[in-house]
Amino acid sequence: MNDPTVFLVDDDVAVRDALSLLISVKGLRTAVFASAEGFLNTYSVSWRGCLLTDLQMPGMPGLQLQRHLVERGIELPVVVLTAHGDVATTRAALKNGALDFLEKPVDDEVLIEVLRNAIRVDEQRHRARTSRDQTLQRVAKLTPRELDVLRLLAEGLQHREIAARLAISPRTVEVYKARMMEKLQVRTLADVIRLGADMAREAAITTS
Amino acid sequence: MVVVTRSISIHPRTQHTLWQAGGYVALYVLLDGASYVRPVLKLGITPWNPQAGLTVAFLLAFGPRWLFATALAAFCAEGLVRDMPAAWWLLLATSAWIAAAYAILALALRRWGLQRPIDSGSKAVTLVLGAMAAGFVVAAGYVLLLVVGGALPGSMASAAVARYWVGDVNGILTLTPLLLLWSRWRDGLRTVRGNVAVVAAQLGVLALTMWFIFGLSGAQQVRFFYLLFVPVMWITLRWGAPGAVLGVLVTQIGVIMAVQRNAQVPSLVDLQFLVLTLSVTALVLGAVISERAEALQRLAQREAEQRTLLATAPDAVLAVDRTGDISSANPAALRLFGEEAVAQAGRPLTAILPGIDLTRPDGRVSLEGLGRDGRPFPAEIAWAPLHVPARAAHLVIVRDATERRQSEIELRERERDLARAMRFAVAGELASALAHELNQPITALVSYLQATAILAAPLAGRDERLTATLLKAMQEALRASEVLHRLRDFYRGGAIKREPVNLVALCEATVANFRERLQRADIELTLHTDDSLPSMRVGVTQLEIVLHNILANAIDAVCQRSGSPRRILFAIERTADAVTVRIEDSGPGIDPEVVQKLFEPFVTSKVDGMGLGLAISRSLLRGQRGDLTYEPGHRWGGASFTVHLPYGMPTDE
Repeated sequence: MNDPTVFLVDDDVAVRDALSLLISVKGLRTAVFASAEGFLNTYSVSWRGCLLTDLQMPGMPGLQLQRHLVERGIELPVVVLTAHGDVATTRAALKNGALDFLEKPVDDEVLIEVLRNAIRVDEQRHRARTSRDQTLQRVAKLTPRELDVLRLLAEGLQHREIAARLAISPRTVEVYKARMMEKLQVRTLADVIRLGADMAREAAITTS
Repeated sequence: MVVVTRSISIHPRTQHTLWQAGGYVALYVLLDGASYVRPVLKLGITPWNPQAGLTVAFLLAFGPRWLFATALAAFCAEGLVRDMPAAWWLLLATSAWIAAAYAILALALRRWGLQRPIDSGSKAVTLVLGAMAAGFVVAAGYVLLLVVGGALPGSMASAAVARYWVGDVNGILTLTPLLLLWSRWRDGLRTVRGNVAVVAAQLGVLALTMWFIFGLSGAQQVRFFYLLFVPVMWITLRWGAPGAVLGVLVTQIGVIMAVQRNAQVPSLVDLQFLVLTLSVTALVLGAVISERAEALQRLAQREAEQRTLLATAPDAVLAVDRTGDISSANPAALRLFGEEAVAQAGRPLTAILPGIDLTRPDGRVSLEGLGRDGRPFPAEIAWAPLHVPARAAHLVIVRDATERRQSEIELRERERDLARAMRFAVAGELASALAHELNQPITALVSYLQATAILAAPLAGRDERLTATLLKAMQEALRASEVLHRLRDFYRGGAIKREPVNLVALCEATVANFRERLQRADIELTLHTDDSLPSMRVGVTQLEIVLHNILANAIDAVCQRSGSPRRILFAIERTADAVTVRIEDSGPGIDPEVVQKLFEPFVTSKVDGMGLGLAISRSLLRGQRGDLTYEPGHRWGGASFTVHLPYGMPTDE
C-alpha cells in the first residue's frame, strides 16, 4: 500500500461502504477499518496517504485514536468526520493535530478536495523526511574532526578562529572542510551553514 | 442434668438486721418496764402498752417473719419486768400468741401499703380498724390462756380483756404512726425550728389544759377530758398527720405521768378509753388534712404547668363557653387576633373564625380566620369539649398556616419548574440521540447517491431525468438531515440562565426534596460541605436536574442491596481547578461492562428506565463547560458520581 490511500475508520458499516465507494469512484484508493483498534493493529510505516476517521465510535473514540497516533509517531495527516454543530469535539480534534474536518453528511466535492490536500501534505512530509534521512546518513560518515569543523562553521567562525579552537593549523582546517563538503555533497558555504544549523536544532529538540 | 451448688451464709444485711432485732427486744423490755402501771394481779395486763406499738412498727418495717423476735421479747419482758408471774410454759404460750397475732396484722397492713408513713384518711382508718381487731385477738387470747392456765380467776376475765385491749390499741395508735414517720425526722425538726413560737404555744396550751384537768377530782377529770380535744385538734389542723401523732403522744405521756403522780385518778382504764377516742379522731383527721394538702399542692403544680404551657404555646388557644363566646385566651391568641377581639369577655368565636361549627364530631377544620385588623389568613383549627362543669364548654386551638401555605406553594412551583426543565432536557437528549443515530444512514445515503451520480454519468445521455432525479434524491436526504439538526439545535439552544448559586444550599434543597423517600427507606445521608466556596454563576435549574437525577439513582441503588446499611454521601469539595460535588452510595455499584457506555443515551440498568438520566446530566453540565464523571466508590464499593464545576465558568453567553 505504498500508493497514496485514504484509510477510512468508521463504526457504521453503511457509512464505511458508501464513503469508500464514493472516494474510489472519485479516483482515490481506500482501505476501511471498523474501529480505531483495527487500524492501529494493522498499521505499517510504509503506508502513504491520509486517515479519515469518525469521532464518535464505541470502544476507542476518534480523539483517543489521535493521541495513540502521536504516541506511536505515526505522521499520517488526519481528517475527522464530525456531527453537525459539534463544535467542542471538532475544536479538540484540531487541537490534537487534525489537518481538517468534514461534517456529516459530506459533500463529495469538498470531501475529495480535503482528501487530495491531505495526501499532498503527506507527500511533502514524506519527501522532507526522506531528504533529511539522506543528509543524516551522510553526516554519519563524517569523522569527529570534520563534524567539529562543520559545527563551528555553522556558528559563523572564521578558519583562523576554528584552527585556534581545535588547536590545529588553518591549513588542516581547509583540508577537513574540503573532505566534509565532498562527503555531504554540498557545494557552497551557505549550504554547509544551513545544514549545521538544522543539525543543531535537531540536537536541541532531541535533547530536550 | 444441672448441678447447682449453693453455699449457705448469713448475708451481711441479715447480720445488720439481727443487731436491730436485738435492739428491738431490748427496747421492748424497757418500754414494758416503763409502762408497767396499774397491772392486774402483777400480770402484764396494763391499760398502756407502748411496746405493742413498737412491735407493729418493727414487724411492718422488717417483715412479719421476724415474729420470733417479738415472741422472745414478750417472754423476756415477763421474766425481767414481772419476775415470771405464771408457769414458764404458760408465758411461752402467751408470748407466741402475741407474736403470731401481730405478725398477721403486719402482714395485712403491709398489703395496704402501711409500711410507709400514713398519707391518706383511708390508710389511717385501716390502721385504726386493724389495731382494734388485732388488739382484741391478742387481749382475748392472752387472758383466756391465763384463765385456762389457772393464773387468773375467770371472774376477772372481761375486765382484764378490756384493760389489755385499750392498752395495746392505744400503744399502737400512738407509737406505730410515729415510728413509721421516723425516716422524716429531719423534715419534722426543720418544721419545728421554723415555727418555734407556734409549736411552743401549742405545747403550752396542751400542758396547761392537762394541768387543769388533772388538778380536778377523779370524776371531774373524766367530765372535762374533752377539753383536751381543743389543743390536739389545733395541732392536727395545723400540722396534719405528723402533728396529730405527736400531739397524741404528748397527751398520752401526760396522762400516764398524771396517773403515776396523782393517786386521785379514779380509773386509768376510763381515761385510756377517752385517750383512744382522742387519738383515733386526731389520727384520721390529720391523715385527711395531709392528704388534702398534698392534693392541693399537686393541683397547684399542675395548674402552674398548664398556665405556662398555654402562655408559651406558639398556637392560639381559646376557651369558649356554652353560648359560643370566648371566655379566655392565651398570649398567642392575643397576638394573632388582636386584644379587642378576644381579650374582652363575651365576644363570639364566629367573629374571628366565621363559619366554625363546634358541634362537628371530628373536632378539626381548616378555614379562613380574621386576624388582627381584620386581615384574613388560612387557619387550621382543632377543638375538644371540656368535660368539667365550668363556664367554658370547648377548648379551641388555632394555627396560622400562612407561612406553611406559602412554602407549600413555593415548593410546588419549584417542583413544576424542575419538571418542566426536566421534560425539556429529555426532549433535547432524545432529539440529539435521534439526530446522531439518523445522521449515519443519511450520510451513507447521500454518499451512495453521489457515487451513483458519478457512476451514472455515462448513461445520462439516454435520459436527462436520471441526473436530475439523483440530485433531487440527494437534496431530500440533506433536507431530512437539516430537519434533525434544527430540532436538536432548538433544544440545545435553550439559553442557560446563569445565576449566582449557593452550592451548599442547592445541595441541601435537593436532599430536602427526597427527605420522605430517604426516611421511608431508612437511608443515612451525610452531607459534607466546604465553607470557603468561591461564588459561582451556573445554570441553577440545570444543575438541580443533575443533582436530582444522581441522587434519585443513588437511592434506587442503595435500595437494591438488602442487608447492608443504606448510606449515601454528598460531598462538596474544592480541587485545583474546579468545585466538585461527589455523590457516593453503598449500592451494588455499576457493572464494568456498562461503565464504558454509561453516559450514552438509552443505556439503563433499570427495568422501567429510559436510560436518559445520566446522558442528560452530562449534556447539561458540558453545555456549561462542566462535566460529570463516574468511578467505582472506594468507601462502600458502590457507585460514585462527580459533578465538576470548573472555576471561571463562562458568564452569560
